[in-house]
Amino acid sequence: MIIKEVAMNAQETRSDLYDAIIKGEIARAERLLDDYARLAGNYRLAMKEIMEPVLRAIGDNWHLERISLAQGYVAGKVAEGILKKIFAEEKGHTPSSTKGPLILGNIEDDFHALGRKLVSIFSEAAGWKVYDLGNDVTAGAFVDKAVETGARVLGVSAMMFTTAENIKKVRSEIDRRKMTGRIQLAVGGAVFNLRSELVTEVGGDGTASNCMEAPQLFDELWRKSLEVAP
Amino acid sequence: MNSMERVLATISGEPSDRPPFTLTLSLYGAKLTACPLRAYYSDPELYFKGQNAVVEQCRPDIIFTPFALALEAQAFGSEIVYFPNAPPNVRRPCIRSAAEIAKINVPDVNSQPGLLYLRQAARLLAARYKGTIPICGVMTAHTDLPAIIMGIDAWLETLMFDRRRASVMLSFTARYFLAMANGLFADGIDFLALPMIFCNPRIILKKTVEEIIMPALTEIFQQLKGPVVFHHGGNPIGEYLQFYKDLPNVAGFVIDSRDSFSGARKALGDDVLLMGNLDGPSLSKISPQTAVKKVKKIIDERRNDRHFILASTSADVPYDTPIETIAGIYDLLRKREVEADDR
Repeated sequence: MIIKEVAMNAQETRSDLYDAIIKGEIARAERLLDDYARLAGNYRLAMKEIMEPVLRAIGDNWHLERISLAQGYVAGKVAEGILKKIFAEEKGHTPSSTKGPLILGNIEDDFHALGRKLVSIFSEAAGWKVYDLGNDVTAGAFVDKAVETGARVLGVSAMMFTTAENIKKVRSEIDRRKMTGRIQLAVGGAVFNLRSELVTEVGGDGTASNCMEAPQLFDELWRKSLEVAP
Repeated sequence: MNSMERVLATISGEPSDRPPFTLTLSLYGAKLTACPLRAYYSDPELYFKGQNAVVEQCRPDIIFTPFALALEAQAFGSEIVYFPNAPPNVRRPCIRSAAEIAKINVPDVNSQPGLLYLRQAARLLAARYKGTIPICGVMTAHTDLPAIIMGIDAWLETLMFDRRRASVMLSFTARYFLAMANGLFADGIDFLALPMIFCNPRIILKKTVEEIIMPALTEIFQQLKGPVVFHHGGNPIGEYLQFYKDLPNVAGFVIDSRDSFSGARKALGDDVLLMGNLDGPSLSKISPQTAVKKVKKIIDERRNDRHFILASTSADVPYDTPIETIAGIYDLLRKREVEADDR
């Protein structure tokens, strides 16, 4: 009986949650997830059955340019909120990250953090263990952290063309240390959406058109890395 | 016709000898004069020298005051960073949230060094070109200023979740904006271009645009002592032009390279000045021939549009754009003028 109630409620909750996020009603969104977690038994189920499908729907619409930055931001805040609740709920019991690690940061001289922060949130929501190095990160610092943690993917963000050019230094650093293929270079930021040819120009191995698509890109690049250097 | 006559004719829908054009060549003056950018963006005489070179070698119909919005952020206390081949940018906003507004002051537009630089550059351009080439001042709208004072995410958050503080912040930035904008008009600019970001439903919620931003823009624009050109700010605005068309003192719109002029005309009618559609930042990455082809396509499409000025969109034309690209665009338009004369 309870299972049936939860299943019936899931569909309605997903629809309500999508609506709340699109309207920027963050408190309502959190309430919906709290209610569902109570009914289902825990936040991890709320994440899996409600939040993840809603994030996929928002991601699809973002790809179609039907989602504003503000709506994406709200989705990020809601995802961040439920991740914290899962962490609090499961502390000391089960690991919350199943993929990675993944290194994120804004390239040297770039200080536009919003996109990177959202990528970090959505990647964690997708199960990645994320090391976020912040703004203005040098090529050496990116690769050092990848070596230290065993990360196979770097996610490097730049908003402007001028700063995107600095990503070439990360490419050179990876190659110089003979880690080509082993460490995959994901690049992203507004400028790459405007000029897709820039991905190749700066030596990127791939890009995603928005922060919700980034985790899927990281999955692909991780697979690619394993093929090159098992 | 000189540039001023050509642009005025276009604004009023009168015939002109050829379509006026402008490229955002604020930065490019530094290249033409081989001027280091830190000096270029701090000494108005060097900026003026650069723009003289732009006028001489590129012959645009509109020239610009420094497109260096980071200097405004710096005037409030934000930390900025200089680049060898691009305008300065904000490194660190001066406050972290709207709650910290009491920590900062409205800068004095008559004494703050960065703002004085912007104003003196305007005065020098006006002394030389007033009446012959329209001078466009470039500033940050008061609805966008908080993003460079406290960061994009903090401003987004305030607009969405703290209406009271958003209103306080807008009153604060409006005080600066009006003083600076009207100061620039007094210094001799002919109009003001405002790259608009936080008024676009691609960025913020539509209800935020309707309930907070539009009333704020309406109130402040009507106090301006000169016309505004509403610039797309790096995002397509075509589908939202109906939001902005009744704003006071708006003389025209610069649309994004991804917007269509025909769509913009549908939203705004036939008598509003439309500019843009040539992607500025990509000019360094395409050949002069390709650039000329793009321009030809645009001006052919707008052949019968008397309220049209070809302009580059988004940010500055990049530093490494070949001069041949700019010369090629001018030559194409000049050829149209000769053809018109022959007819």
